[in-house]
Amino acid sequence: MLKKFQKLLTLALVPFVLWVSLSACTPQPPSRFEQAQQESTQRGATAVVKESSQGAKFNAFFPPVEGDYKRIYTQEKQGFAEAKLKRAGKEVAVLAISDVLNNPAAVQKFQTSSLTIAGYPAVQQGSMATALLVEGRYQVKVLSRDASFTAQDRKQWLEKFNLAGLAALQ
Amino acid sequence: MSKSIYELVDQLPQGGLTVMVLNALDFVIPGQWENTVGFEATIRKVTGETDQGLIQQIGDRAVWLFNDKSQGYQNALWLYQTVDATDSALGAAALANKVGEKVSFLGFLNKITPNPEKAQALDLSIKLVAELVAFCQINGIPGDSIGDFVASLADYSGESLMRMTALVCLDGLIPLGPDFALKALDFIEQVSPKELEQNSTFSKIKPLIPGQGVAGQLEFIGQSVDSVKGWMTNFVAQRDLTPQKLLGQLRGFMEVSEDKLDYLAAFIDMSTNYYEHTGIQTLAHRLIERAVAEI
Repeated sequence: MLKKFQKLLTLALVPFVLWVSLSACTPQPPSRFEQAQQESTQRGATAVVKESSQGAKFNAFFPPVEGDYKRIYTQEKQGFAEAKLKRAGKEVAVLAISDVLNNPAAVQKFQTSSLTIAGYPAVQQGSMATALLVEGRYQVKVLSRDASFTAQDRKQWLEKFNLAGLAALQ
Repeated sequence: MSKSIYELVDQLPQGGLTVMVLNALDFVIPGQWENTVGFEATIRKVTGETDQGLIQQIGDRAVWLFNDKSQGYQNALWLYQTVDATDSALGAAALANKVGEKVSFLGFLNKITPNPEKAQALDLSIKLVAELVAFCQINGIPGDSIGDFVASLADYSGESLMRMTALVCLDGLIPLGPDFALKALDFIEQVSPKELEQNSTFSKIKPLIPGQGVAGQLEFIGQSVDSVKGWMTNFVAQRDLTPQKLLGQLRGFMEVSEDKLDYLAAFIDMSTNYYEHTGIQTLAHRLIERAVAEI
């Protein structure tokens, strides 16, 4: 009787064991970033082109800060410069200038936007970022890092960049 | 082929000894570090974006940036991984302890060789220099810019601050005691270029350390420790940190006795990889910050 029960139990367990081992062997679904991984590891693929401007050249065009605000430069790479904006010691936004030669797709969003800021084509991107495009070449972006830093704040800080100076950059 | 940045971040452990030790250090920098695991979760956390289309664009761009070797991110990863290369067999054995039971490093005592103080001081100094060089590689600052690094330490936060905290606590305070920074500097002054060359970590990361020849590199290491000494000493003083306080926290999940601090340091060194863990988190953070600004 006991043996019969054991046999039945074993039979009943077979599908379960099979299911467990099959699920363990099932490969992970490919990541949504796999295509980017494959394309960017092809021979000759680069994320940054040598024709793009040096990030160090952008620093001079960042907005001046005063009062409670503090600006801390964080990354300075080929075609890119970035600074944190702190208010009373707390990070509230990120300010950035990038050369679109390194990522030409960035221009598309300006072509479908009717917004302008300081006379330049501009766009609200997602819920945290506002950007404008200078001379079709330099993207200036302000990104909120805190809910207290609103879209209106982003617009005001974009206007504080030395945009004319940036436009004249060769 | 080496791993992609999203695999590295997706595969960070949610638990285990490294995460337990880092969590135990939360009392030093309360609320600064949380163990964010997963590439998409990191994108959401860094940018605050939830739009799937934007998350895709940000992630794609970050992948491209990471894979462009000229951008320095892979060098930084390699540095974080290399200074943390540990005896993983011991780590795996420690982790095999039953969940919920205290990790008993006492059981591994016969497998642990504590570092003599001089070697420990050298390890601390080399890790510090690796942090400096990785910082420069990630942020695009010239590789020998000690001044920029020291200035930016004041602004370190999140996973980067946790890595420095762990460095100070686990590689400084516990093995060398409260005056670890001075000790490290004293020892560095006694180390000869030949001894430095014999250090296995140094011999691996040597190509990325600034300085003319090994003697020049040794001088650079000394200058770096000297420049960061003030920051480390203040960090400890402001928080009134002592080896005893650290032990108190570690005792939450580890059997530790006060007379075996050098063994404890060696055990943690062998069974955790806090440098690589937080290093990958820093790297993902910086890549995503740049990617969201460039898309």
